[in-house]
Amino acid sequence: MSKTAARWVSSSTAEAGTEQAVHVEGLRLKYPGEERLMFKDLSFSAARGEKVLLLGPSGCGKSTLLQVLSGMIPRATEVPMKCEAQLVPRSWGYVFQDPDTQFCMPYVDEELAFVLENLSVPRDEMKERMQAVLHEVGLDLQELHMPISHLSQGMKQRLALASALLLEPEVLFLDEPSALLDPEGREQIWSAVKAVSEGRTLIIVEHRIEEMAQYVDRVVLFTPDGAILGDGPPAAIFAEYARELQAYGIWYPGVWEDYAESRAGRELFAPVDAPGDELGSLMLEADSSYAHLGEPVIRLDDFRGLRWEKPVVSLPSAEVYPGDFIAVIGPNGAGKSSLLLSLMGLLRAEGTYVLCGEEVIQGKRRKVRKKRERQLRQIGFVFQNPELQFLTERIGDEVMYSLLVDHMPPDEAKARADRCLERFGLDGMDNRHPYQLSTGQKRRLSVATAMARQPAVLLLDEPTFGQDARNTFAILEMCERLRRAGTAILMVTHEMEIAQRAATHIWEIREGRLTSSLPSPRWCSGTESGRETDGANHADASRDTLAASGYLHTGVNA
Amino acid sequence: MNIWNPVRITWLHRANPVVKLGLICALFFMTVLTHDLDFVIYQAFIFMICLVLLSGVKPWKMLLFFIPFLLAFISSASSMMLFGKGETIWWEWGLFRVSEESFYRGLHLGFKGIAFASEGLLLVTTTSSVDLFYSLMQKLRLAPKYAYSFMASIRLLPMVWEEYVIRRQALKVRGVRPIRGVRGMVHRAGMYVVPLLAQSIRRAHRVAAAMEAKQFDGDRAKARTYYYPSRYSRYDLLVVGLLAAAACCAYIAAGYFPWFGIGDVRFD
Amino acid sequence: MGTSVQEKLGVQPRKGLRLSDILVTVLVSLVLGVIYHFWGSVYNLLKPLFFEADELLYGMWFAAATLAYLLIRKPGVAIIAEVAAAHVEVLFGSGWGLTLLLYGLIQGLGAELVFAAFRYRSTSAWTVAIAGAGAAVGSMVMDFYYSYTDDLQTWMFLAKYGMRVLSGAVIAGLLMLLLAKALDRTGVTSLLRPASKKDYEALDDPRHV
Repeated sequence: MSKTAARWVSSSTAEAGTEQAVHVEGLRLKYPGEERLMFKDLSFSAARGEKVLLLGPSGCGKSTLLQVLSGMIPRATEVPMKCEAQLVPRSWGYVFQDPDTQFCMPYVDEELAFVLENLSVPRDEMKERMQAVLHEVGLDLQELHMPISHLSQGMKQRLALASALLLEPEVLFLDEPSALLDPEGREQIWSAVKAVSEGRTLIIVEHRIEEMAQYVDRVVLFTPDGAILGDGPPAAIFAEYARELQAYGIWYPGVWEDYAESRAGRELFAPVDAPGDELGSLMLEADSSYAHLGEPVIRLDDFRGLRWEKPVVSLPSAEVYPGDFIAVIGPNGAGKSSLLLSLMGLLRAEGTYVLCGEEVIQGKRRKVRKKRERQLRQIGFVFQNPELQFLTERIGDEVMYSLLVDHMPPDEAKARADRCLERFGLDGMDNRHPYQLSTGQKRRLSVATAMARQPAVLLLDEPTFGQDARNTFAILEMCERLRRAGTAILMVTHEMEIAQRAATHIWEIREGRLTSSLPSPRWCSGTESGRETDGANHADASRDTLAASGYLHTGVNA
Repeated sequence: MNIWNPVRITWLHRANPVVKLGLICALFFMTVLTHDLDFVIYQAFIFMICLVLLSGVKPWKMLLFFIPFLLAFISSASSMMLFGKGETIWWEWGLFRVSEESFYRGLHLGFKGIAFASEGLLLVTTTSSVDLFYSLMQKLRLAPKYAYSFMASIRLLPMVWEEYVIRRQALKVRGVRPIRGVRGMVHRAGMYVVPLLAQSIRRAHRVAAAMEAKQFDGDRAKARTYYYPSRYSRYDLLVVGLLAAAACCAYIAAGYFPWFGIGDVRFD
Repeated sequence: MGTSVQEKLGVQPRKGLRLSDILVTVLVSLVLGVIYHFWGSVYNLLKPLFFEADELLYGMWFAAATLAYLLIRKPGVAIIAEVAAAHVEVLFGSGWGLTLLLYGLIQGLGAELVFAAFRYRSTSAWTVAIAGAGAAVGSMVMDFYYSYTDDLQTWMFLAKYGMRVLSGAVIAGLLMLLLAKALDRTGVTSLLRPASKKDYEALDDPRHV
């Protein structure tokens, strides 16, 4: 008996006659290799039909708790745990965070069939059930035999919900289903969840609660140690624990406003004046590479980025000045990432591309290519997936690597690297392997390695994607710091608040073309700039554009 | 996943994958145990014809398999011809020793390779992976955990490829300079393989968790139902008959119209 | 404290291969198989440089078996890994795919027997090197039937299989050990290790609170 993973008095069916849907008492759990227990004598229960939201800082164990409640730990995943009593629902469905790793089959119908096969449903009933459940979540596809890869991320999550529904679950466990989705996808999944949750118990773990905070009946707030801090109706919890919510980095409704009022936020969102004054007065790191005032650091004329000889993004003309923070927005697949890749020289391009006063010549000959590579070293690039950028096995070496490639003397490089790590909150971890960091830390490290070099231009591909509020603000603060030192920043983002509050300009890309490039409200609230002005009121113009393009996020949808 | 994309659906496409598998394995067995040069030449010939007729692949695509056939023929034949054991030496130079025995053995190996490849292609061009696995589960009671692991992994491969492309871009962006020599090659390979495998391991683990969350019982093939039915039909008989007849033709032809008349090519 | 109802809830046996083990093995092996396909086809063009030069790289074919074992350390993974890596050729539509599947089976068996001889408890350099050599021996046995290699001149035979065994020991053995260690350092392999008795006892240990 000493080897049993869990000792519990079970009543795994609903015959107990209680109104409880899930229940665990005195839970103790510890991951092998971790120093401390994740949960110590935790008790939690949810009633039938209740909609519960579990909130807490990253790493406090909310997802683990969800897996324990559903019985996946220890059945499917072996983690040492024990508890005094547990009630596991007879039928439950689970929706995971990552839209791409929830499925095992390539086609929609095969994936749904997988669940039905597991339930031993006869073949003739399968198609009908599939269509019914797809209709329930709002996925009306003409053709069921459709590759899953053709669905958008939001649709994939709906499909995941549909396959969970095929299990006819009493309880639905949702593990951050909207974390890796853009605003449109988030709306899709939450509307689907609301549509299907009639009469079911929902246990939701989420970080971005703007869309559904008012929909749940009960909010349970966890501390970083995995203990329950507060448990009650949403309004009460949000009121009483506002400070903790902020500290834990949760995207609660009004988080941007609160941040904008804080000291850091005020600095970050301070209106931007004409380039001249700022650069002169706020040179924090005197090392900025390109700061010729009044001259664009990038100038594009009839610039086209090509994939397989076909243009995927084209800009008739554009200019980027030092100290610009340009938010690149647009629908999925419009070509925003392709723009960044073309500017970085990772995609073939055509047209005029002038960087720091020198033209970047596209060509295949070796000499031309070498020269181009050298020029493009002045641009820093941060990819969407931080792990794919790491080169070394120690965090300390990671930042230094880029500096050493720039031929910086080793002592200076080390000093600068240390300073950089400290600013990003990664100091004291010099010897750790980059992969062992948390997601937020990895993201900060990847941004740090690009920023340490203080490039003339910094390109970031959705750096705040899937991040909690704290990390997002930290990254924005770092970007602002760099911006004030003269770097021009181009950031692809889906976060409209960033575009409106932190960016100085907004470029919109639709179907491979730059359709508008306007100053943001932040720029406009300052004095008139010497730059091209289209008319009187820029603030309204840019907001109109955003609203027209359907991106203006209004906040909580009840 | 069928990269050959057949344009014609032949009998072979309609036959049950498990039957085909068994049939082709039987043919393999026959070819392996063939030590007679003429028989092997006729086998290679006849199965190539079967392939052209039954695979349903576009004619120009067939060149795609004939070119590797030729290359393989040359490499495997020449290796045995130049270095095989033999007593009647025809030509000698340095380390090369072409003898009568080794020459015919080399020829035999070349044609044998073509026979194997034709038989293999008969299966590969007419069966998709998914159908094969469903068939194995239903007819041979293969445990679903193996079949679905394969199918899920095949589905995840394109993501690994995308990551490889991004990794290559990232290395370029970070300014990684290649180190020369063998150590450099190994190091550079490691720079790709470690992140790709790390991500793959994590992904596979998550997909497994998702499958379990869908109440997947990997061990019992009997308890589950199947979306794609796998049935036996008359095409199975037709196909067995056809290929058996082809093999017999080859055998008879080798008896009546031998090209070389040598018999067993093995050394003793 | 109470009766365990693990069995009623269908907990998978800890000793056998779980779904996660198989999926990781298969995916890793498919990746290695793809690598070999591309790298190998480039090398094949250089084959005429000196005869049987490709034997020095042959060990790559056995790498899946040893790497899978180093990651998962349970019986059976070496065979599954080799069959999966060979399956890549089938997916690419190669006619030799089926032949390679059979080779994979026997090669995997060669490595598996070595691991079994060490009772699946050893992950030292010697073990994996010998396992790599074992897989090479497996492929040698297959070659006897397929290519009459026992009829090659003796010196050629020794050269060819000597190189292959060495390649197996070095590439599939030592190189994969380095790779597995690098993966350990990234921390992903902690997902794959079963929990030990000590970990369960730590639940009650007051020091960890």
